[in-house]
Amino acid sequence: MKKILPVEELARDSRFVRREIQDAITDPRQAIVAERNTGTARLEPDRPAAGDRARQLMHGIFVGELQALEGAGRTAFDFDDVPFQLKLDMARQCWDESRHCEISVKLSEHMGTEIGEFAEATFLYEAACAPDALLRLTGVNRALEGLAIDVFNTMKEFGDSSGDPVLSACEDWMLADEVTHVKMGSDWLRRLTENDPERRERALEFQRTVDKLFSLGGFRGETDENPIQLARKFREMAGFSTVEIDELSEVSAEAQDEARAVATARGAAA
Amino acid sequence: MADPGAPRAAFAPWDRRELPGLFGVVEAARRIGAYRWIETRLFEALGGWVATVPELDVKLVLGRHCYHHAWHAELWTKRLPELREMNPDRLTEAPNDEVIAFVDALREPEAPELTIEKLVGVYRVLLPRKIAAYTFHRNATSRITDAPTIRSLDFALHDELEGWREGEMLLQSLIQTPEDVERAARRQQELESLILAAGGITGPGSLGEDTSQEVETP
Repeated sequence: MKKILPVEELARDSRFVRREIQDAITDPRQAIVAERNTGTARLEPDRPAAGDRARQLMHGIFVGELQALEGAGRTAFDFDDVPFQLKLDMARQCWDESRHCEISVKLSEHMGTEIGEFAEATFLYEAACAPDALLRLTGVNRALEGLAIDVFNTMKEFGDSSGDPVLSACEDWMLADEVTHVKMGSDWLRRLTENDPERRERALEFQRTVDKLFSLGGFRGETDENPIQLARKFREMAGFSTVEIDELSEVSAEAQDEARAVATARGAAA
Repeated sequence: MADPGAPRAAFAPWDRRELPGLFGVVEAARRIGAYRWIETRLFEALGGWVATVPELDVKLVLGRHCYHHAWHAELWTKRLPELREMNPDRLTEAPNDEVIAFVDALREPEAPELTIEKLVGVYRVLLPRKIAAYTFHRNATSRITDAPTIRSLDFALHDELEGWREGEMLLQSLIQTPEDVERAARRQQELESLILAAGGITGPGSLGEDTSQEVETP
């Protein structure tokens, strides 16, 4: 088996359908939708489409967990020159993500959707293809798993507000694991770059790039326009400083503005 | 009530543990170094394969088993310094080149249509060999002097037996045609030949067989 498995070679059964995330973010129809005043974009149960949006998000969580499992597994395999304890952490993450996939499949059925009803974007796994183990840890454990913290917290709150204790409890369990994974990434970032501030800065720069991508053109942020809200409290527990969270909030706003501009331009050109 | 001051034997009548075991400290450490080496190669492979298998149930089981074997490697990492090996990496090695050849062959399949080959290597060849070697070690070492190793072996064996059963059930569900049966048998034969040449996962004597009369084959 070769080292570094490219995203095109991710193995899937016939139910899965892939799409490019960029196509969804810059879809010209997004500009038309944005012109409508439909109130808050937050995931709230009294919105007419709340059920469909929650099911779509659940499917997104499932494929995200699947790619996080695959990414952790590849990091355990791909590198021969990393500390043994780091490999053990990645193996532990494999087990956690495997459970999250199982939970997500059960919750998907509970919410009335099934594998393959929505498309899969593979940008999460792409962050796990970096040839440097440190970049993977920042890209996957801090950026991707950080996004998972935001998503699970939003979904847990949706479970609370919609009166679904099964959804709320399961999301809370997964949230607990994700905080551990992000903290793992924060700890390894500190340990591996203890005497190399330049390398740390390169890793953080990579994380900023990934964070912008993972903001998905306004999907995540801190305003009513963002369906997924930044989970400040849990991010702090996972080792993010207030300054880092503030920066992430700005990056998310930038990503939203850029996506809107591109969608408008594509709409005008059409 | 019995007199609390009356002398009692250190071992109760039902406690039949004895001294010594078959292994000294050096041999125990050598075997455990080999266990750590092979558990590490195994969990790396299982982690790497997750992304290469399309079958969802297999993917999730590999993710879980990846951690089980990593945990075994961690148990052996902790045990080695207690056996006078302060640098666990020094003894973490394959017992011979044939074991390396076996593990290289085991880890080779990559393509998504090779799930049967991947699973046969792990669940029909390696895990049975590990179960046998761990069981021999458990039965042969002293239950007094080497009790910490036995405790770790018991934890590992529990996972190995559960893992073997789960992997075998996955294989039985994937093997659906006479051609599949042939594929699985061919793969098992290839790998069995390699591990036989290696003498088992800790080399000759893995199961305690007498190796003193070995003659070189022409």
